[in-house]
Amino acid sequence: MIGFDWAEPESLPEALALLGEGDPSVRPIAGGTALMLMMKAGVFQPSRLVSLHRLGSELCGIQENALGELEIGAMTTLTELQHAPAIAKSFRVVRQALVRLSNPRVRNVARVGGALAHGDPHMDLPPLLAMLGARAVIRGLKTMREIAVEDLYTGYYETVLEPGELITKVTVPPLSGRKAAYAKVTARAVEDWPALGVALSFAMDGDAVKEAKVVISAATEKVTRLPETEKALAGKPADAEALKSAGEVAAGEASLLSDAQGSAAYKRELLRVYIGRAVRQALSNSHH
Amino acid sequence: MTQVGRAMPRLEARAKVSGKAEYTHNLRLPGMLTCKIFRSTVPHGKLLSVDTAAASALAGVHRVITANDILQIVPEPYYGPAFHDQPILAVDKVRYVGEPVAAVLADDPHIAEQAVQLISATYEELPAVYDETEALKTDVYVHETLKPAGTFADLKHLAGMKNTNVALEFHLRHGDPDTAMASADVVLEHTFKTQQCLHVPFEPSVSVAEPTDAGLTIHTSTQTPSFVRMEIARLLGWPDNRVRVKVPLLGGGFGAKVYVKMEALAAVCAVLVRRPVKVALTMEEQFYLITKHPTTFHIRSGVSKDGKILARECNVMWNGGAYADIGPRVTQKSGFTAPGPYDIENVKIDSFELYTNRTPAGALRGFGIPQLVWAYECHTDLIARELGIDPVEFRRKNVLREGRQQATGTPMHDAAIEVVLETLAMRMNWAAPFDRGTGPVKRGRGIAIGFKASISPTTSVAIVNVSADGTASLQMSTVDMGQGSDTAMAQIVADVLAMNAESVRVVHPDTDVTPYDMGTLGSRSMFHMGNAVRLAAEDARSKLQALAREVDLPEGSNVPYQELFVRRYGMKAGNVVGVGSYIPSYTPPDKSNGQSSNVTPFWMIGGTGVEVEVDTETGHVKVTKLVNIIDGGKPVNPSIARTQISGATVMQLGFTSLEKMNLDGGQVTNASLADYKVPGIYDIPPMDVDMVDAEQTNGPFGAKGIGESGTFGVSPAIANAIHDAVGVRIWELPLTPEVVLRAIRTAEGRPLAAAE
Amino acid sequence: MKFSGELAVAAPLSEVFDRIRDARIFASCINGVSNLEEIGPDKYSALFETKVAFMKFKFQVEVEMTKAERPNLIEGKIEGKPLGIVGRLNATSSTTLAERGNETVISYDVEANLTGKLGSLGRPVLNAKAKEMEKQFMANLQASFATDGKGGAA
Repeated sequence: MIGFDWAEPESLPEALALLGEGDPSVRPIAGGTALMLMMKAGVFQPSRLVSLHRLGSELCGIQENALGELEIGAMTTLTELQHAPAIAKSFRVVRQALVRLSNPRVRNVARVGGALAHGDPHMDLPPLLAMLGARAVIRGLKTMREIAVEDLYTGYYETVLEPGELITKVTVPPLSGRKAAYAKVTARAVEDWPALGVALSFAMDGDAVKEAKVVISAATEKVTRLPETEKALAGKPADAEALKSAGEVAAGEASLLSDAQGSAAYKRELLRVYIGRAVRQALSNSHH
Repeated sequence: MTQVGRAMPRLEARAKVSGKAEYTHNLRLPGMLTCKIFRSTVPHGKLLSVDTAAASALAGVHRVITANDILQIVPEPYYGPAFHDQPILAVDKVRYVGEPVAAVLADDPHIAEQAVQLISATYEELPAVYDETEALKTDVYVHETLKPAGTFADLKHLAGMKNTNVALEFHLRHGDPDTAMASADVVLEHTFKTQQCLHVPFEPSVSVAEPTDAGLTIHTSTQTPSFVRMEIARLLGWPDNRVRVKVPLLGGGFGAKVYVKMEALAAVCAVLVRRPVKVALTMEEQFYLITKHPTTFHIRSGVSKDGKILARECNVMWNGGAYADIGPRVTQKSGFTAPGPYDIENVKIDSFELYTNRTPAGALRGFGIPQLVWAYECHTDLIARELGIDPVEFRRKNVLREGRQQATGTPMHDAAIEVVLETLAMRMNWAAPFDRGTGPVKRGRGIAIGFKASISPTTSVAIVNVSADGTASLQMSTVDMGQGSDTAMAQIVADVLAMNAESVRVVHPDTDVTPYDMGTLGSRSMFHMGNAVRLAAEDARSKLQALAREVDLPEGSNVPYQELFVRRYGMKAGNVVGVGSYIPSYTPPDKSNGQSSNVTPFWMIGGTGVEVEVDTETGHVKVTKLVNIIDGGKPVNPSIARTQISGATVMQLGFTSLEKMNLDGGQVTNASLADYKVPGIYDIPPMDVDMVDAEQTNGPFGAKGIGESGTFGVSPAIANAIHDAVGVRIWELPLTPEVVLRAIRTAEGRPLAAAE
Repeated sequence: MKFSGELAVAAPLSEVFDRIRDARIFASCINGVSNLEEIGPDKYSALFETKVAFMKFKFQVEVEMTKAERPNLIEGKIEGKPLGIVGRLNATSSTTLAERGNETVISYDVEANLTGKLGSLGRPVLNAKAKEMEKQFMANLQASFATDGKGGAA
């Protein structure tokens, strides 16, 4: 590794100012778990890293707002998120997903903001929060905007974040009785990058599924919503036949990539099967 | 209390868990420079030039070394235990991507690494060969001429041979296989393959070479201190006693640290710059150092209708990579057990070690046996299925029994193959009906048994030194790399000298102090060094008895040792030094037919049974039960023995289901633990590991080696269980979910699209 | 890494042949190639820069047309080194042309190898980039025929 500058701003404006010059070799670092791998791989050589760890107090905390939404500070660690009482109370699906996200040593230092901003499709949190309808507050030195997590990703490692912008907060709307699940499929060791991640939620109208939302990642170039699959689930019971045909729709709808975890053909089979499995998982999760 | 047989905690356990244990990495020497390596980016080519100017000019760089520098002090800078074929730094050719070409020395490792990025080399690229079968047929030759080291008599005739990639061929004939095959009721033939894997010692190779008045001290993470000393002395043209090799604890070895690894580079750099030099590889670089042989095994058996194996032909090709390392020994020494632990009158074995343009392959836990057992136990299972005979029953009909001749002609002694098989069957509840399930998850079970011949002949020497206060220390060059050798050997000494094992001080290998040992490898230490240690302790004991007679103490008077010294020397002074050396008897195999009446002093046996669940929709295989039973003689330390079996099991599970070094254009594409997955805690199935009641009569207190036995049966047992569950046979490792699903779907007639 | 495909251009075969066998045009269809300098017959050195998100890559390359056999076979190779990091990029391409009505069908096979760190840990990032580059190259080549067909891109 080649030497670089290390800055430790004490406030958000200071951090944003350090990042604001638009130099892509200047990058923010939160937990650094993903960024360090890229530096070791030789694909990224920073001239300066702007550490956000002193912004803890400004950007931490998990609380419920007046609308019943959960507001999560971007510098919250994944372990803190995993064990937050508010998560246990209202978002069991998030805790279940975090238990299998990487490993405890990584979760202890990785932050929610970093997990969302990184842009590697092989991650668990982005499709999950996208599916939950979460919104990210993005701050620049003079700007502030709120973007749905679902709309953050434009390509492989590409996000809508401009240089000089940081995610400061993520807001997650309540499930309001919807069933939700995140199915992580690994093709090698149990503790591994996902080969496929399927996040879905839906409401029930008697026996029928309605208002389904399906988001996948890992096997795709970026976090990807599957509207055709959502339509295929709508109005049908969650029985074997309906889930099988929804799986077929998903297998045809998604554009899948081959990589170290498996060929596109194999991932297609996983997707075909895991739409149904995720729905069943959501149904068994229904007692929050 | 007897010390041998005590399930005592390891002597170094507390130091390890409290962070006080001594490892080579912890060493800080004044003036120490770090060495970082510039590596070939071409799989096969002539090295035309190396441009080090920019690197040398970087502030903080002390010196940049290439082969030209090394040639000033080492006229023939090639090393290796079997062939002197591996250059310290590439001289005129490179033979694999990742081969060391230049080295940067600096105080600061980050500056050294930065300087490496500024080095460039030009090559005239040559065609490359990666596959073992192709290497046998191609006219692309990795080495211009073969250069046997002269250490192994059976390789001498290869000197100067050209136009071949075959580093060694081993041929064995027993009985009349051609006739027997022709007259068999059923003949079955299959081909099995295995993949290139990595040892992944959590401590990658690290060596520090320190110039001293006497010559050189090399602090290194090695399993073979005596060899390192001799080889470095040979390279430098020095007498052995000018090189001192010191070895603290190892963070795992598994065969990755045998013979010379980074010691030669560290040594020549240290001699060139007259300062201590540390070469510490990253885990990524470990993928460019030493690996496990990929193999292709064609196996053919002729059997009678009622299930007797009449003849077996084995053709094994070993992919040895760019440099021989100990590969030729793997090919030969495992080669003769290729037919399996079966009583087969007519056997033909042809085993070939091939050079290719890949990271060199060498010793990895099992020393070739797991690759052979993979093939012969899958094959044996298929034969049993074909004949409609239960797999356990088929093996019962055919296993080698006491006194019967193995394929080499050596009669089997103290090899509890039957007992292992029966114990396995019982623990697997084999006689009970087995429910294979009706839904998308199918269940299956499988077994496999394998064996290994201990390496022979090898020399071990040990010294037991009793001090004037009656305490003892053990000086031996066996390396504790986590297998518990310090503890087990201390127990032997303590048992003979009637003291507690905790009070025996085990001196870590230091070639100024600890005598010769062939190496800590191949599960040899317990038997070979254990015998030497026992002899040394007995020698010390008889010298103490002689001392007692000298001071006129009556026979059987139980005077404490310190009292003897006071009586003899007038005060607390003096030592009693016992020496033991051991080399087993051995008859070398006949050159023409591989036959020998005494090819090994002991056999290792391992049998595995598994139950699996196969998700037929995704190919995921879950091992729900795993039984691993070995014949390890009488364990010196039963609790360490059990951890060795379970450790071997987990390691082999990784090679079975998860691990494979991927290659593209000669480049390893997953040279990182982020992408080369080894088993984690959640990958470990419920395991029942055990040793049968057995005794190795010529071993120390009935003991023998066990470190590798747990690896033998794991892979084929799982493949056999998958076959049992879903009716498909998989011919190649690793058994990933994608591989399993593809096999299932192809058998169903709806194959997946080809992988791109 | 292997990729292959085909594309059809509305131009006669011999014209397509002349266009593609010119190393400058070949190189100019790759986004990010600059400083093209002739260093030998049909051989050029160039700088190749590309990026994936915030990760930048620069290679010093040599582009050479190794074979141009009328009427329809062209082979080329690229050999390069990433700047500032140990590694090697090399790619060989083989292109055959076929007439189809008044179109020419260009069929290509490319084999690319990347060794060194980028070829190992960095591979997934660069693999994704390679696919994108393939699409861009084809689009650029197609576009170069959509002009007056008189050749000579920068």
